[in-house]
Amino acid sequence: MLAKKMMRDIFRHKAQFISIFIMAFLGVFVFTGISGEYIGLEVDSSNFYEETNLADGWIYSPYLNDMFLSQVWYLGATTEMERQMVVNSEGDFENEPEITLHFVENNTISKFYLIEGKPLDINDSNGVWLDKKFADAKNLKVGDKITFKYENYTIEKEIKGLGYSPEYVYHSSPVAINSDPDKIGFAYMSYKAFPEDSVPYNVLNVKFDGTPDNYAKILDYRLKGYYNSFIEQSDHPSVNRFSQEITKHKMMADIFPAVFIIITFLILLTTMTRIIAQQRTQIGILKANGFKNKTITLHYMSYGFWLVLVGSILGFILGPMILPRLFYPSMMRTFVLPSWAPVWDMSFVYLMVLIVAFSLGVSYYAVSSISNEKPSIAIKPKPPKVSTSGFVEKLKIWKRLSFNLRWNYRDTKRNKIRALMTIIGVMGCSALLIGAFGLYDGMNEMRDWEYGQINHYDSKLIINEGASVSQVNEVTNEVNGKTIMEGTIEIQSDSVKKTGSLLVLNDTNLITPTDKDKNRIEIANDEVSISQKYADLFDVGVGDTVKWHIRGSDKWINSTINKIHADPLSQGLIMSSDKLENLGLNYTATSIITSEHVNRTDDTIKTTITLDDIEKSWEETSETMWLIIYVLIFFASILAIIVLYNLGLMSFTEIEREIATLKVLGFKSKDLRRLLLTQNLVFTVIGFILGIPLGSYILTMMWQSSGDSLYMIPSLTITNVILTAIITFSISIIVNLMFSGKIKKLDMVESLKGTE
Amino acid sequence: MSTIIEFKNVNKEYKSGNHILKAMDDVNFTIDEGEFVVILGPSGAGKSTLLNLLGGLDSVTSGEIIVNGEHVESFDDNQLTSYRARNVGFIFQFYNLIPNLTTLENVELMKDIVDVDINGLEVLESVGLGNHANQFPAQLSGGEQQRVSIARAVAKQPTMLLCDEPTGALDSKTGVLILNLLQDMSNNKNTTVIIVTHNALLAEAADKVIRIKNGQIENMIINENPKKIDELEW
Ligand SMILES: Nc1ncnc2c1ncn2[C@@H]1O[C@H](COP(=O)(O)OP(=O)(O)O)[C@@H](O)[C@H]1O
Ligand SMILES: [Mg+2]
Repeated sequence: MLAKKMMRDIFRHKAQFISIFIMAFLGVFVFTGISGEYIGLEVDSSNFYEETNLADGWIYSPYLNDMFLSQVWYLGATTEMERQMVVNSEGDFENEPEITLHFVENNTISKFYLIEGKPLDINDSNGVWLDKKFADAKNLKVGDKITFKYENYTIEKEIKGLGYSPEYVYHSSPVAINSDPDKIGFAYMSYKAFPEDSVPYNVLNVKFDGTPDNYAKILDYRLKGYYNSFIEQSDHPSVNRFSQEITKHKMMADIFPAVFIIITFLILLTTMTRIIAQQRTQIGILKANGFKNKTITLHYMSYGFWLVLVGSILGFILGPMILPRLFYPSMMRTFVLPSWAPVWDMSFVYLMVLIVAFSLGVSYYAVSSISNEKPSIAIKPKPPKVSTSGFVEKLKIWKRLSFNLRWNYRDTKRNKIRALMTIIGVMGCSALLIGAFGLYDGMNEMRDWEYGQINHYDSKLIINEGASVSQVNEVTNEVNGKTIMEGTIEIQSDSVKKTGSLLVLNDTNLITPTDKDKNRIEIANDEVSISQKYADLFDVGVGDTVKWHIRGSDKWINSTINKIHADPLSQGLIMSSDKLENLGLNYTATSIITSEHVNRTDDTIKTTITLDDIEKSWEETSETMWLIIYVLIFFASILAIIVLYNLGLMSFTEIEREIATLKVLGFKSKDLRRLLLTQNLVFTVIGFILGIPLGSYILTMMWQSSGDSLYMIPSLTITNVILTAIITFSISIIVNLMFSGKIKKLDMVESLKGTE
Repeated sequence: MSTIIEFKNVNKEYKSGNHILKAMDDVNFTIDEGEFVVILGPSGAGKSTLLNLLGGLDSVTSGEIIVNGEHVESFDDNQLTSYRARNVGFIFQFYNLIPNLTTLENVELMKDIVDVDINGLEVLESVGLGNHANQFPAQLSGGEQQRVSIARAVAKQPTMLLCDEPTGALDSKTGVLILNLLQDMSNNKNTTVIIVTHNALLAEAADKVIRIKNGQIENMIINENPKKIDELEW
């Protein structure tokens, strides 16, 4: 019988219970969906790394002879090692793609992952095992021939296999912001395929015991000067970029569900409190008839229990099924993994149990007040809540306030939880919207800053590694350009070590560094400037010293910082070529920049990047961003609609009698609609105002988690605030209109018939 | 005395499914200005229906309701609203005060809808509640609440007071007090008062008694010498 009563009660309060259901569902759906997605990525990638025996570290050195190897072996911690010769080559295709060649000694570490063809054969001097993504882009099949050009060598091989590599889950290149499989690839070959007898190995892949820090320390202690650099696994560009992506998703999985789950509990609390207040007499009668307290309490606790349980089970099942499918396609364009499978994790079950337990607790809290009362008291209707006159009513101005304001003030005072819930809901909605639009603004701001304020060239010609100085000068003159040098450096302090970029400028106004307020700054000929992000990271300022070296060279340099610049996309040092040479380093131009629109490739120029190219790859990068923005807007709207609709419904049923009375007295429907609208708008305004700082905070968090190389101070634009306001208030007003209709149709006679 | 209210062939039907219920079946009567009218009849007879039609809370199926020469049955929603605001003071069994407003505010609420200057305190004093002005409804007894509701209804000086079982939820002593008050309104202020009740005894105090049964008027009596409420034997 009680079950039947429960069904009827739930049906009568269907809007609230549907909301509880949806919110519990969405909370678990989003959490398990995104978690399933990123944990899936974690598992897939670590399986991939394990299966291919990804190196724990890479030692770059030109002296990888037997002597060196035995020294590394005698470090004690080394468990496996293997040499490679890694060079950049140019594929023999019209667009001259950059292909990184790996001549491997054995390929037992960072193994090539075969998809089709036959496994990598170390005795095969004629075969090449090629990047499958590149092969697909170029329509190459097993058995085809492919030619690479490297220095003076032309290497022609037969494709024996296609596959992936754990070192190229993310393939970055200075040539393209994004990894474009048509322009970039990698290939593995046996050392026997190298055109010379002795292979000039330059990378030693190692596996070791103990922490990377320890390993780096003993390596430094024993072999200092004999190697250029050591990269541990987590710093490898591919590994690092992929794990950063995962961190971003993890953050989303943590923030959003929290909002939904809090709302679930708030609605549950308010709904149960209301039902129990309404059914006080019924409860008293049940008790008087001998029902046990426990039975009654369990009865009311079961309302929320079933809905939250079913909602979260549904979310638990559907989340990992649906959300990863939404995310993976856009990620597959950037990352390469052999398997993309979402994962169910024990934490999902914990979350569900937690939510269900918490909902029971919330219901229990709502019921406990009544179950402790004596039936004789419970059977009498609860005296209505007495309003009291506070200090506001004592003010002179109170008398002059309109009925609308007075009524709403008192109504709010009597229903604080309801008010709080609306404000929190609106706050969540506008914060999410601020976050979403802020991301969009940030993307645009970054683009304008980077390509409007800092870089003014039209084309950037990437110089071939083999080109001579005179060739370079010739082209530079031809296109009226300037040469620049870009490189990768490592910056180190006592506690921190980071990879960064080095930019060497030659008195040009095609690249004009700015400070963090985007004002142009001059970096004088004898000055060194560090980017703001790294200045913060290393906790250094003007006058302090940083220690750095160019990756691939073992010459460490101590530089005093003279300036601090800010750049949204690249972090590191900027200096002039004079300064560089003063420090004892060679200036080797890597690109020519020019304001002319050129498009050439020849012996000197490897490839040309124009602003159009950059524009295009920018759009591609923004794609995932857009997805996040849409998802945010969608959830923010749902949140607001559900919360506001609930509040509206709740207050409407609570004051239905009052509204009917006012109508009987001769109040116009229009005025009564305004009564509800006022309340709604006031809460919306408060929630909106509180949502702005919360949104800015979320935005800051999002930018901070977007990686070491990005520097953005999230700014709140007027457009952002206005758009957020438009959406938030529109939702608020539309939801309110749904109730306005009800006021007009309200049947006075029915509403005033007896009490419930 | 002039006729102020006239029902002409009034019918009211409620449809539930294919069953039609005649809650008001060809009802005709008139009421004069300042009359104290009592409507009697068993439960379900159609008494509330009659008041609701007259008060503009519901609309007729057919027939005419003429108040002050105006055809109420032809009013649209907006006209009904202002008709209620100007002409009708309702008093219900369950008071229906606005819980969020103090006693005084409940009375002065009327300023928002009619162009009458209301001295709320004065009106409250006239029902004997001058010293409860700043209390909230929940802090008053049932009889006191009903007196506030009368104060609220008379404050705007309506043409008529429509009272649907105003003493239904009160003990008899308090009930007499309320009825007394209503009779005074009729006698001293020339307000037309129509009271629906089960209590046949009240008939002796009325200027006019209308008995209703099954939606029809059973009979209508005019008392030449109505008694004072106090004089009735309760
Ligand atoms: N909204 C309605 N829908 C259907 N029937 C109604 C409605 N209101 C009243 N009735 C019916 O009309 C008849 C008269 O009701 P009412 O005027 O309330 O009687 P009473 O004399 O007790 O006040 C009753 O039979 C009642 O069931
Ligand atoms: Mg009735």
